[in-house]
Amino acid sequence: MAEIPKARDFFESSRAAVSDHELRRKLESASARHLDHFAEVKAEFPAYDDERDAAHRIKTGAIAHLDELLIELKSKLEARGCKVFFAEDAAEARGYIVELAKGRGAKNVVKGKSMTTEEIELNGALERAGIDAVETDLGEYIVQLRGERPSHIITPAIHLSKEDIGQLFTDKFGIEYTAEPEKLTAEARSRLRTIFLNADFGVTGVNFAIAETGTLVIVENEGNGRLSSTMPETFVAVMGIEKVIPRLEDLSHFLEILARTATGQKLTTYTSFITGPRREGDLDGPREMHVVILDNGRSAMIADPVIREALNCIRCGACLNVCPIYRRIGGHAYRSVYPGPIGSIISPNLFGSAAGYLPFASTLCGACKDICPVKIDIPRILLHLRWKESAGEHRLKWPRAIERARRGARRFAKMARHPRTVRALGKLAAMVLKPFAHNGYLRRIPGPFGNWTKYRDFPRPRPHQRPAPGPERPPG
Amino acid sequence: MAELHKIIASVKDALGVGARSNSHDAAASAPVPVAQSAHRAALASTFARELEAVGGKFLGILTPDEVTNRIVTLAGEIGAKTVALGQGAVSDMDAIGEALERADFRIVRTIPVADTERAAMRERVANADIGIADADFAIASTGTVAVVSNGDRPSSLTLLPPASLVIVQIDRVMANLAAVLAELGPEGVAANRLTLITGPSRTADIEKRIVLGVHGPKSIHVIVVWPRDD
Repeated sequence: MAEIPKARDFFESSRAAVSDHELRRKLESASARHLDHFAEVKAEFPAYDDERDAAHRIKTGAIAHLDELLIELKSKLEARGCKVFFAEDAAEARGYIVELAKGRGAKNVVKGKSMTTEEIELNGALERAGIDAVETDLGEYIVQLRGERPSHIITPAIHLSKEDIGQLFTDKFGIEYTAEPEKLTAEARSRLRTIFLNADFGVTGVNFAIAETGTLVIVENEGNGRLSSTMPETFVAVMGIEKVIPRLEDLSHFLEILARTATGQKLTTYTSFITGPRREGDLDGPREMHVVILDNGRSAMIADPVIREALNCIRCGACLNVCPIYRRIGGHAYRSVYPGPIGSIISPNLFGSAAGYLPFASTLCGACKDICPVKIDIPRILLHLRWKESAGEHRLKWPRAIERARRGARRFAKMARHPRTVRALGKLAAMVLKPFAHNGYLRRIPGPFGNWTKYRDFPRPRPHQRPAPGPERPPG
Repeated sequence: MAELHKIIASVKDALGVGARSNSHDAAASAPVPVAQSAHRAALASTFARELEAVGGKFLGILTPDEVTNRIVTLAGEIGAKTVALGQGAVSDMDAIGEALERADFRIVRTIPVADTERAAMRERVANADIGIADADFAIASTGTVAVVSNGDRPSSLTLLPPASLVIVQIDRVMANLAAVLAELGPEGVAANRLTLITGPSRTADIEKRIVLGVHGPKSIHVIVVWPRDD
C-alpha cells in the first residue's frame, strides 16, 4: 500500500531536516550549480520563451482533448504491436505488471528511472511476489541500496555526499573505500552491465507519448533507459495519462526546454523513440511490449479547471531547485513520492486529503512559476488547494500550535475590519513599546512577541505613520 | 577548433571538392550550388563545436576515401583490439571492415539474428572496444546524431562498447531538432527505433559532478563525410 503521509510526520521531518546543516549544504550547492547551468543555456537560446509558450499551449490543448488523444494513442500503439492496459489506480497498475512478470517467469527485472513506478510502489509489489527489481539509474540504484526513496525527481541521491555513497559501496559490496565519483560510477557500471545482459523483464517510465504515431519518447543521460528497453525480452512502459501529445511536430518544443531546465543541457544524452517491439531480425528491442497508462487521480484533477493546469508538468524538477522550502528541508521531509512545489499540488490529488497539508508548505514566493518551462502557475494552484482544504469536508487536523495560529489569524482578520479599533490598538502599542525603542528600532520585544525580534530589529510603531485613511467601508 | 573545420570546409568548397555528390539519392547527384555548400559547411562547423561542448570528439569533415584510414587510425589511438560494425546506410562498411582486418583488428559484424543467436551476438558487441554505425542525421544546434536502428545496424553498436564512432553525411546535418523530425516525418520516426545521441553517456548523480560513461559509451567520435565526385 502507498504510504499515506500525515501532517504530523511532515512537521516532525521538516523540523529535523531544517536543523540538518549538512543536508542544507548539499541541497544549496546542488541547487546553485543547477541554476548556474540553467542560466547559461537559457542565455544562449533566445527562442526559450517562445518554446515555453508553445509547450504551454500544446500541453493545455492536449489535456483539453485528452479523451480523444488517449483513444488515438491506444489504437496506434496496438497497431504497432503493443499491448495497452489502462490502470484506474496504482493497485491495478501494480497488479498488471506483477502478474505479467510472474506469467513470463521473470527473474531479473531492470528498471529505468521512473517517478510513475515510484508512485505505484512497483518495487515493493514485485518483491512481495518474490521478484527482484533493480533500479539502474545511478542515483536510483544508490537510494535503492540504502533502502530509501528518491529525494529529488531528477537527482534522486541529492541528499547524499560522495563520502556517504563511498561508504555505502564499501558496506554493500565489500570494495575498498573511495569517494571518487568516477570510481564509484565505474563500479556501478560493471555491476549493472552484468545484470542488464541477463535481464529478462524491463520497466521504464515515459516522457512523451505521441498519439499520431504510437511512439514513446524517453529522455535520459546514462543509457539505462536504452538498456532497460532493449535488452529484456519483455518491456513494460508505465505512463500517466497526461503524457500524451498529439503530433510528432509538437515534440521538439518540449525537448528544447526540458533538458535546459532540468539539467542545464541543451538536449539530454539519449532520446529514445520507441515504436512497438523489435522487428524481425533485429538484435535489440523486446519481443513483447506493454504500455500501462495510469490514471490514479489524474482525471479528477482535470475536472477542476484550476488544478488541471498542473497536468502540464513535464517533471523537469526545476521548481524544486528554486523553492526556498525544498532547499531547506529536502525531498524526504515531504513524505511523498513527488516533493517540492509541484509535488505539493500532485500529492494531495493523487494520494488524497491525507497529503492536504502540503499546499501550505510554501511561501508563495513565485520562483517556481517563473522557472517552470511549461508556465504552470504553481502559487495560484497552491492557494486554490489551500482554500479547498480549509473549506472541504475533510478538514485538516493541524498540530495544536498551527491551529492556535490559525485561530489567532482569524481573530486578527475580524479585528482588522474595524479601522477605529486598529488605530486605537496601534496607539496603545506605540505607547507601550516606546520605552523599549532605540534609534527608532526595537531590539527586543518582551513577552509572547519576543520571537519577532530574535533575529532582526523591529521598527518602532508610531501612531502618526498610519496610511492616509481611505473611504471608510462598512465592516463585514 | 571549430573555426578550423569551417575553413577546411570552405577551402574544399572553393576547390570544387565535394561540390558534387555521388551518394545516396538522385537529387544529391546534381551539381550543388555554392551557396548551399557554404551553408552545409557552416552547419557542420556548428555541429562540431556543439559536439565538443558536450564531450564528444569531432574527427573532421572527410572525403569517403579518407574515412577508412581515419577509422583505422582511431582504432589504434584508443587501443582497440576488437571493432564492432554494422552494415552502412551510406558508408562502405565492408571496405572499412576489411581495412581494419588488414591492420590486425578483430571484427564483429552485426547481422540480422535468429532468437537463439541473440545473447551471443550481444555479448560479442559488448566485448568490442568500439562500435561503428552510420547516423541518419545530425543536429547542428545541439551536437546530436540521430540513428535509426535495424537488424543491420542495431542500437547495441552505439550503446554497449565503451567507445562509439558515428559517421554522418554532410547533407544530413540539419540546423535543429525540429528540422530532423520534419525530415524523418511520422513514418520515418515510427519505422523502427530512433535514438538521438548527444555526447557520451553521463551522470551527475553524485554531488552533481559530471562523470562520463555510466551505462553507455564513455567516448563518442563523429566523422562528417563530404561525398566526392570521382
